[in-house]
Amino acid sequence: MQEEQEFIQELLNPKTQNEAFQKLLSVYQKPLYNHIRNIVLNHDDADDVLQNTFIKVFQYLKSFKGESKLFSWMYRIATNEALTFLNQKAKVNGVSTATLQNKAIDNLQADVFFDGNEIQLKLQKAIANLPEKQQLVFKMKYFEELKYEEISEILGTSVGALKASYHHAVKKIETFVTNAG
Amino acid sequence: MKTFKLENEPKIESGFKTPDHYFEDFSAKIMQQLPENEPKVISIFQKRKNILFAVAAVLVLALMIPVYTTLSTNTKTLDETTLENYITYQSNVNQYDLISELELEDINKIKTTIPIEDEAIEDVLTTNSDMEHLILE
Repeated sequence: MQEEQEFIQELLNPKTQNEAFQKLLSVYQKPLYNHIRNIVLNHDDADDVLQNTFIKVFQYLKSFKGESKLFSWMYRIATNEALTFLNQKAKVNGVSTATLQNKAIDNLQADVFFDGNEIQLKLQKAIANLPEKQQLVFKMKYFEELKYEEISEILGTSVGALKASYHHAVKKIETFVTNAG
Repeated sequence: MKTFKLENEPKIESGFKTPDHYFEDFSAKIMQQLPENEPKVISIFQKRKNILFAVAAVLVLALMIPVYTTLSTNTKTLDETTLENYITYQSNVNQYDLISELELEDINKIKTTIPIEDEAIEDVLTTNSDMEHLILE
């Protein structure tokens, strides 16, 4: 925690800012990219959202109060940015976010930045049919392998509720994949 | 139909890929996009504004000097000899004009008591023969 405070000070100090931000990027760009990509599914969209996320992180560092960890704060920004992006895209296209996601999954087969096999594609389709919260919890737990405590900090949900969400999500996915044959 | 169990399956990856060198390029791209932490910008016009105000103030003061000098010469009080000469040699100002301008206060101011001794009066009366006629009249 002490180390994190020092790092935040480095990020705020104009003299050390650039170097510190480079460090922040090198540590967090991959996990945040994966987190965003799991939500928006498409690489170009994930790239846009990731850029916005880091720019917002930079802009709002001054107001970061250190009440939560830098890690969970950044994940929270990334999650909000990704969900807002999806909602706006759905609105522009005049469809629901679920429809938009299903369309994105259909496009995955032709996506050069997706090399998933049949079971991976089925899993994606099964996830798209879950409620938003369960989708988030499942992706963060299963793909990103975050701990329940970490997810709890990011989403502001109790560990118990998260475990229940994950359990429900797994059950629904298993049923979907089984039925899909 | 085989029941699908997530925990029985080997870990299924998301299958998402990124373009080559994406993250290296991304860092550079973001570093360029970051808004620079510049010191507070003060508009050049704002800075010049003060100078312009100072110049304007000096100009106004400079222009006021001739006006001030003319005004001060105009308000100079006329000295008495000039006034006396004017009244004396200016033919169109006659006694009546002067009298009409005089106020009671002015008249009182003009009044002077001349201390004349009785002997002096006597002398004048005795030496001046015409006085007798005047008195008789």
